[in-house]
Amino acid sequence: MNSANSVSITAANSTTANATEQIALEIDKLNLFYGEKQVLRDISMSIPKGQVTAFIGPSGCGKSTLLRCINRMNDLVDDCRVEGKINLYGDNIYHRHVDVAALRRRVGMVFQTPNPFPKSIYENVIYGLRITGEKNRRVLDQVVEKSLRSAALWDEVKDRLHESALGLSGGQQQRLVIARAIAIEPEILLLDEPTSALDPISTLTIEELINDLKKQFTVVIVTHNMQQAARVSDQTAFMYMGDLIEYSDTNTLFTTPVKKQTEDYITGRYG
Amino acid sequence: MQSWYKSGSPWVWLSAAGVSFSLIAVLGLLWLIASRGLSYFWPAEVYQFDFTDEQGQTQSVIGEIYDREQVPYAQVAHLNLPFLSSESADSEQASGEHLTNEQQTLERILIKTGNRELTNLDFRWLFQGSIVKQSSPEHIAVIERRKNGDFYGFIDAIVSGGQVVELSQLPLLLARARNLQQQVKKLERGEIRSVNFELERLRLHERKLLMKNQLDQNTQQEINQQRAVLEQNYRAFEQSLNSVREQLMRDQIIVTAANGRQVSLDFADILQITYNNQLTTLDKVGLFLKQLAVFVSDEPREANTEGGVFPAIFGTVLMVLLMTIIVSPFGVVAAIYLHEYAGKNTFTRVIRIAVINLAGVPSIVYGVFGLGFFVYLVGGSIDNLFFGEALPAPTFGTPGVLWSAVTLAILTLPVVIVSTEEGLARIPSSLRHGSLALGATKAETLWRIILPIASPAIMTGIILAIARAAGEVAPLMLVGVVKIAPSLPLDGDFPFLHLERKFMHLGFHIYDVGFQSPNIEAARPLVYATALLLVSIIVALNVGAVAIRNRLREKYRALEQ
Repeated sequence: MNSANSVSITAANSTTANATEQIALEIDKLNLFYGEKQVLRDISMSIPKGQVTAFIGPSGCGKSTLLRCINRMNDLVDDCRVEGKINLYGDNIYHRHVDVAALRRRVGMVFQTPNPFPKSIYENVIYGLRITGEKNRRVLDQVVEKSLRSAALWDEVKDRLHESALGLSGGQQQRLVIARAIAIEPEILLLDEPTSALDPISTLTIEELINDLKKQFTVVIVTHNMQQAARVSDQTAFMYMGDLIEYSDTNTLFTTPVKKQTEDYITGRYG
Repeated sequence: MQSWYKSGSPWVWLSAAGVSFSLIAVLGLLWLIASRGLSYFWPAEVYQFDFTDEQGQTQSVIGEIYDREQVPYAQVAHLNLPFLSSESADSEQASGEHLTNEQQTLERILIKTGNRELTNLDFRWLFQGSIVKQSSPEHIAVIERRKNGDFYGFIDAIVSGGQVVELSQLPLLLARARNLQQQVKKLERGEIRSVNFELERLRLHERKLLMKNQLDQNTQQEINQQRAVLEQNYRAFEQSLNSVREQLMRDQIIVTAANGRQVSLDFADILQITYNNQLTTLDKVGLFLKQLAVFVSDEPREANTEGGVFPAIFGTVLMVLLMTIIVSPFGVVAAIYLHEYAGKNTFTRVIRIAVINLAGVPSIVYGVFGLGFFVYLVGGSIDNLFFGEALPAPTFGTPGVLWSAVTLAILTLPVVIVSTEEGLARIPSSLRHGSLALGATKAETLWRIILPIASPAIMTGIILAIARAAGEVAPLMLVGVVKIAPSLPLDGDFPFLHLERKFMHLGFHIYDVGFQSPNIEAARPLVYATALLLVSIIVALNVGAVAIRNRLREKYRALEQ
């Protein structure tokens, strides 16, 4: 890593114990502008494979924007401009010839509020496969069961797979959306404040689920809830006003933060 | 008072009054056209009136009472009505007033007398005062005829093949006549029309070959042979038609009209004979329903003032369905482009405003546009390219049901675009993002997520378009509607659906019957009946579309939370 830059901190450096760890994502000097306004400033970081990385920070610090850069959802914003690179296993996703739809199949995303499609539970889960043209009924059935099991929803919905997904509770809907995202077997799963619209019990279920998910996927989660970050993540990045302030393994960040700003934030002095 | 005002009650009352007023207006309108229209089918009592005419003679007339009105005496004073002087003594005693008082009004009644061959006029006014006697004899027959309207009179005798037969034979002979009439109709509409169609096709084929210089001896011979066969068929059909017609002329009925004149009527012309004064209520209901059925299923007679309106119903529905098929894809695609793909700049906004304003252009302007562009330009070019052999007789280069549908599609396009766009705008962006995040392209997202969810809004647009198009008449008068269409746009001859044909339309039918017919008084109830039918058809079309929309809404209901 180019450590000349003060904000270029890598988690891999701080967790020296596991040097064989693979880097899934490498963000390199990322700047992002909405029109004239700069929202992200020179972000560089590496996200390890098979772990849960959390972005924390006060509202408007750019953590969600950074997350959306990883699957290029920011492309949908009209006057958004991105500079810098994000390498997904070595390939720059902001390269001109990248097929954005293909990228999004590799980098799945779950949003803040559950957004199931007004279709059946079954159709929701296989939506991504329908897009790729999978028609084999057996394959689809298997994927539905596997994904719903991974999302810890199978037992609750297995008898009503063909009923509308909109009949599910908020927590179930959010797990369904996760099942939908993992049905296409992405390499990375982005979770944008996945529990902010849920009650505490559903939140707990989702948090347990995130722990299971990291066995199969690299998970990046944005949360405004520091306890949640402490509970579920292996690495934590603290962002403030578009800058990456501190990035290290979760234990270190919460117990012995290096930066004053980080300490202020996690002790609840602002944010 | 102050607190009452502050409590908001006045607004509640005001808005409730507004709703009530609208409801009353709508129900009143429906009640008016329904009662006036339906009474046309109800078998009315038939009266015989004995009255003194202007020369002081007593005359007698038979008919149904249509209307009553009061006329001021001053208006009719110059007529020198004899009954006024002869009966004034009685009236004076009864009312204590002198009848020649300038303030006095006189009641007169409108009587439908029928018997057009005797009087020329179907209707006449009678002053109530001039009527000496009003009775309703039981065996007045109301004879509905194919020509010359109704005949009121007493049946004297039936002549079958020159022999007088018993009156009890009447139903039998009527049935026979009806049967023969159906044979005539079948021959004319079926076989003979088909042969004519084939002959015309053959002629065009020949002409086409001739124009291309491909008509050699052999084909010419072939065509001539075919033509000979067809002409032979034609003659054979014509012969059987003539023989059926001859059979039809066998029986006559001798009827005495009110003034004592005897008239002989052909059975061929008689549709039905009823003794209205003998009918029980049940009979009347039966007759009412039968007349109603005839009205919706039969073809018009006598310059549209009698018979049914089936071709107009068919034309209206077909044209509206065609319009829907044309306008839906165009409107939806335009709305999708405007909302999903077009840049959000001034140009797009200008286009959107222009589209919305299109809805405000007077419909006759669309008619002029349709005539100039579709009929003459597009239709004319089609004729030149594909139907050159028929020229100078135009095929598509003349008003027709297709051009009517296209013109109304343009007219209703803004409605569909606007409501589709509103539907698209209502879809939460989280659903788009959800689909895109799963690796769907924009087009896939549109097709699989956005369009299904927007479908209720699209249906709303289509419902509004149907409602607008079904009631539109003015532009159609320029681009395809006619008073009487010789054949339906759908029939048994290839290619079955004849989009180039002219058609009849209920809206135009109302106008035509109400204002262009030779006998406006007689046609007035028909105008109401047709209006009622038009309203019913529009309601039926809309109910169908609303049902589809509600099913779609139900499917995506939870979204609106």
